[in-house]
Amino acid sequence: MRSTAASPLGLAAATEPRRLAAARRPRWRALPRAARHGGRGGGANPNAYPSAAPPPRGPGPPTYAQRSPPSASDCFGSNGNRGGASRPGSRRLFGLGGLPRPFVVLLFPFASPAALSAAPPRASSLGARASPLRSGVSSARPAPGCPRPACEPVYGPLTGRNNSKGLPQSTISFDGIYANMRMVHILTSVVGSKCEVQVKNGGIYEGVFKTYSPKCDLVLDAAHEKSTESSSGPKREEIMESILFKCSDFVVVQFKDMDSSYARRDAFTDSAISAKVNGEHKEKDLEPWDAGELSTSEELEALENDVSNGWDPNDMFRYNEENYGVVSTYDSSLSSYTVPLERDNSEEFLKREARANQLAEEIESSAQYKARVALENDDRSEEEKYTAVQRNSSEREGHSINTRENKYIPPGQRNREVISWGSGRQNSPRMGQPGSGAMPSRSTSHTSDFNPNSGSDQRVVNGGVPWPSPCPSPSSRPPSRYQSGPNSLPPRAATPTRPPSRPPSRPSRPPSHPSAHGSPAPVSTMPKRMSSEGPPRMSPKAQRHPRNHRVSAGRGSISSGLEFVSHNPPSEAATPPVARTSPAGGTWSSVVSGVPRLSPKTHRPRSPRQNSIGNTPSGPVLASPQAGIIPAEAVAMPIPAASPTPASPASNRAVTPSMEAKDSRLQDQRQNSPSGNKENVKPNETSPNFSKAENKGISPVVSEHRKQIDDLKKFKNDFRLQPSSTSESMDQLLNKNRDGEKSRDVIKDKIEPSAKDSFIENSSSNCTSGSSKPNSPSISPSILSNTEHKRGPEVTSQGVQTSSPACKQEKDDKEEKKDAAEQVRKSTLNPNAKEFNPRSFSQPKPSTTPTSPRPQAQPSPSMVGHQQPTPVYTQPVCFAPNMMYPVPVSPGVQPLYPIPMTPMPVNQAKTYRAGKVPNMPQQRQDQHHQSTMMHPASAAGPPIVATPPAYSTQYVAYSPQQFPNQPLVQHVPHYQSQHPHVYSPVIQGNARMMAPPAHAQPGLVSSSATQYGAHEQTHAMYACPKLPYNKETSPSFYFAISTGSLAQQYAHPNTTLHPHTPHPQPSATPTGQQQSQHGGSHPAPSPVQHHQHQAAQALHLASPQQQSAIYHAGLAPTPPSMTPASNTQSPQNSFPTAQQTVFTIHPSHVQPAYTNPPHMAHVPQAHVQSGMVPSHPTAHAPMMLMTTQPPGGPQAALAQSALQPIPVSTTAHFPYMTHPSVQAHHQQQL
Amino acid sequence: MAAPPGEYFSVGSQVSCRTCQEQRLQGEVVAFDYQSKMLALKCPSSSGKPNHADILLINLQYVSEVEIINDRTETPPPLASLNVSKLASKARTEKEEKLSQAYAISAGVSLEGQQLFQTIHKTIKDCKWQEKNIVVMEEVVITPPYQVENCKGKEGSALSHVRKIVEKHFRDVESQKILQRSQAQQPQKEAALSS
Repeated sequence: MRSTAASPLGLAAATEPRRLAAARRPRWRALPRAARHGGRGGGANPNAYPSAAPPPRGPGPPTYAQRSPPSASDCFGSNGNRGGASRPGSRRLFGLGGLPRPFVVLLFPFASPAALSAAPPRASSLGARASPLRSGVSSARPAPGCPRPACEPVYGPLTGRNNSKGLPQSTISFDGIYANMRMVHILTSVVGSKCEVQVKNGGIYEGVFKTYSPKCDLVLDAAHEKSTESSSGPKREEIMESILFKCSDFVVVQFKDMDSSYARRDAFTDSAISAKVNGEHKEKDLEPWDAGELSTSEELEALENDVSNGWDPNDMFRYNEENYGVVSTYDSSLSSYTVPLERDNSEEFLKREARANQLAEEIESSAQYKARVALENDDRSEEEKYTAVQRNSSEREGHSINTRENKYIPPGQRNREVISWGSGRQNSPRMGQPGSGAMPSRSTSHTSDFNPNSGSDQRVVNGGVPWPSPCPSPSSRPPSRYQSGPNSLPPRAATPTRPPSRPPSRPSRPPSHPSAHGSPAPVSTMPKRMSSEGPPRMSPKAQRHPRNHRVSAGRGSISSGLEFVSHNPPSEAATPPVARTSPAGGTWSSVVSGVPRLSPKTHRPRSPRQNSIGNTPSGPVLASPQAGIIPAEAVAMPIPAASPTPASPASNRAVTPSMEAKDSRLQDQRQNSPSGNKENVKPNETSPNFSKAENKGISPVVSEHRKQIDDLKKFKNDFRLQPSSTSESMDQLLNKNRDGEKSRDVIKDKIEPSAKDSFIENSSSNCTSGSSKPNSPSISPSILSNTEHKRGPEVTSQGVQTSSPACKQEKDDKEEKKDAAEQVRKSTLNPNAKEFNPRSFSQPKPSTTPTSPRPQAQPSPSMVGHQQPTPVYTQPVCFAPNMMYPVPVSPGVQPLYPIPMTPMPVNQAKTYRAGKVPNMPQQRQDQHHQSTMMHPASAAGPPIVATPPAYSTQYVAYSPQQFPNQPLVQHVPHYQSQHPHVYSPVIQGNARMMAPPAHAQPGLVSSSATQYGAHEQTHAMYACPKLPYNKETSPSFYFAISTGSLAQQYAHPNTTLHPHTPHPQPSATPTGQQQSQHGGSHPAPSPVQHHQHQAAQALHLASPQQQSAIYHAGLAPTPPSMTPASNTQSPQNSFPTAQQTVFTIHPSHVQPAYTNPPHMAHVPQAHVQSGMVPSHPTAHAPMMLMTTQPPGGPQAALAQSALQPIPVSTTAHFPYMTHPSVQAHHQQQL
Repeated sequence: MAAPPGEYFSVGSQVSCRTCQEQRLQGEVVAFDYQSKMLALKCPSSSGKPNHADILLINLQYVSEVEIINDRTETPPPLASLNVSKLASKARTEKEEKLSQAYAISAGVSLEGQQLFQTIHKTIKDCKWQEKNIVVMEEVVITPPYQVENCKGKEGSALSHVRKIVEKHFRDVESQKILQRSQAQQPQKEAALSS
């Protein structure tokens, strides 16, 4: 027996000497107590118990006579009494230690976590003590109360042995039953089980078997004497904490219903579990896994090291035999199935054998055989083969994109591949648009550039729902584009040409899409890149931007395209074709197409930039691409937003084109690829026209569109330049040319970006339609790439506001070479806000408005997020943040942004907190869905509603952001009054966004909670602003806003619309279908809403919100794309998105915005500097208001309740949080 | 006896004996320790569960008429390693359960209430006694007589979930009572016979 007793305890026991020791220690300490307690129990007289005599039946535990008080020690004894015991005892313990394992087992139960720490040495010492204890103490312990005391007796005998052994554990042999492995095993396996101990006098005690000594003394915990009439359980007073039964006192111990496999190590292996199931089909209560205090790395390691591979067949047979009495009839000879081969040496046999071998050889050498064997030996896991999510093809299926890559590309690898993807995506959108050929080239360039940034983003998007959905419809086209995109690198030259055309078209659509698409995945990547590469990129971008700027539009379009692609997927099917092919298709379609185009353009620009610049640093290039992408996305976003609103789309498109044209013109004088640009522009224009046609209802929009068109033309020119630059050489040349020839241009570009941004913002703020268009362009530029943005802005600024451009130019000059310039450009987004102001208060407010515009744009995203509250909203929020960020995008800018942001946020936050908090929660509860639902219902409710849920699901990850958004949504109701507040928050958000491009990304993708948080915060901020606004107290907070408050508010409506649009896009991006739906629904709703807005801001607020929600749905998809882009250039992207959103809104309001151009310019500048922040806040605030209001009205209560909590916190934090978050985001991005 | 030298029982043998309490015991030898005269037997589960068994630890000092019904010559299966921490936690939880039950009993809770508590506790660890009320997850309070309709709390998933548990509990109790009655009679007879 002993020999066999190898190790019942097995690893556990062996591994845990330490534990044992530790365990012992604790016990000791505890023992004293136990002893005391025991005293009460029955321990009154240690010696009193007659060992030999039948245990007294009294209330006390069965007595344990101490025949061997001394011996009793052992584990138990040692524990309790030994505290002071002599060392010899300790040795004995060790002797027991030989038992250690058994002890361990026993002890473990007793041992507390702390015990584990105990050192073996002590144990030994304890042992020594134990011995003495036994002699004296043990007797006292017998009391039922003290289990441990009881233990002592047990040791008595053992000690003797122990002494002889002297040494502890290692060499020690186990004493008593501890030496009997089987006995130890069986007793250990029932530890913790209820048992009944029948003592000599017939009494039966029931308790939980705790441990046993080498002498086979037993300890029961929570034991009580079973009465004959055991109808009910024991009463508390009848239960003794523990009782020690000496081995001489009990007759039989019964453990009922023991599961022999319970304590088996493999209890949780499949085989063990299934084995049980086979035996009994009872449902078992699932128990939470409790590692217990004893589970340590050792045990876990033991599991890790278990190399055994299942059951040995013989084990199985035996098991079945033992457990079920099933005797296997298995015959290894398989005589039942075959006949043994009779070998002989006959010639016949040899012949046949040879023949058989030959055949076998033939078979095994056949390709078919190998292929089949390969299948069997495929080392891919089932997971990979059958269950792993492969997003590309299916999701993007809509897009012919499939051709690109059906393979799922891990985010990490996406960047590399993304390039192709990005291009592909971009291409696809572009493809859809005219000049697909050029598009491809761009895409290629983009791919190269974007791959890292945009690519990743896009991929992410692709990976996410957004792409797929977008892809599907666009798929046919996108694929081509995509393909071309990948291939495009060489084509870049071509791309440049295309960019112009594409940018225009894309601007409208791409913006939204890009934002949505890019933002999610890209965001994360983008930020990082930005952070790390940001500066370099920025510079490159700045340089490139000139080129890019021209191209930027293209890039923006491209990036947007990417986003769009994703976005398009949702609405793509309808939109892309329609928009591009048939104006009638609807603003959306046109927008969508436009977006794609834009994205391509943007991408192209980027790629060119990257190529040109990138030559140097891939990183920078990447960054630029990212930036470009982001811008594009942003642009796209705006456009989409615009698209939602009939006017807006047109305006957006027009704007984008104009922007592009301007950019191209300004930068390269449009020389680079005028034709291409022109083409692009034309398409854009056409698209705008279409949108206009569709939007006809909105005359303002038309006017705006015209303005936008003009801008677009300018952009086209610029873009052309960029396009030419698209080819790397071209880009470089362009850059040089731009730099040298158009240092002003560059400056202008930079300024322009800002200006454009401002314009855009202004436009958006001013007139949803008109402003939106301008904004979108500006945004797109900014989004596309800082440089691009700048260019775009410049163009816009020039076109719209020449004065502003000058300022911007100056800034640009500074910034051009530096990221700051890019930032400025981003800031230009804010200028857009200015545009808004122009509308309302046009020039006066411009400065504020400019900032506000961006904020608006940002707000719009946030708003969108709110609208989409649940799923979509969050994303939207993210987008919004992204949008915001985009503005700051430029690395240098970010810092600035944060600062400005912080101030603004704080104030806003404060204000917001007061009112927003409540609202926020409600919105959150109902969440975005409801709010979104509400909105959709009002605008294009049904579709949106449907989509929002889906989005929500998709965005679930984003939930945090969403929540914030929701709050915003709640605020939306406040819109009109709150706009200022909203703006401030928005601004903050923007600032944050700007600073942390990453934010946008996180938000979009859900990649980073932090970002979301930031977004949320921003939202919260917004919410607060809104509340203040409502109260009108907010104005103070939103001074800047207040100035342009009216305008801003107006703008806000727009922004709100925009935000919504962006958000919708994000949501849409998640689910491509949803996006498409949203897009479709949104467009229609948006127009109406826009109109309404025009008619009544209040109405607009609600409707805008709704629209925004709708847009968001549509945009949501895009936003993701945007985010992706943003990822690369989160800031830019975010901006674009924001802008886009704004644009969408703007379409209706945009027209007014045009007046604001000056503001735009100012805004950009402000944005560039710290001033930017304020503007952003304003813009954001409006956005926020919009969003919040819509939700607030219908959904506010619902969502807010839930949301409020979060918002509150966010709001509270907002002031600071926004900034911190922003910073954090930056860091993350970095 | 095929038992190895120094051992009187080989693992796997069927052994029967009679205790000083005049109780007849029979089972398969799981382990035997000569020094302490302890014999561990594995008997068919008293509850009839297929994969369970009753383990008896018999002090041969108080046993007579030990006889080996049949000996087993095969080498006993290797011993599986045990999850000590699992056992320890089981001991802890068992003890806590018993104490909480005792607490409830001493509070005058009816047997039905105690059983219900145990049933709920199996599923939801977060339940406790509050006077005579069972409080589950701090949300649902079950008051005597612990029927489904006695489950009160904020309407929600928690309440509905608890109600389901309670409902099922009483359903199972009913079915078990029938079983127990039929089973309870048999053991008594056996006991009478054995004694």
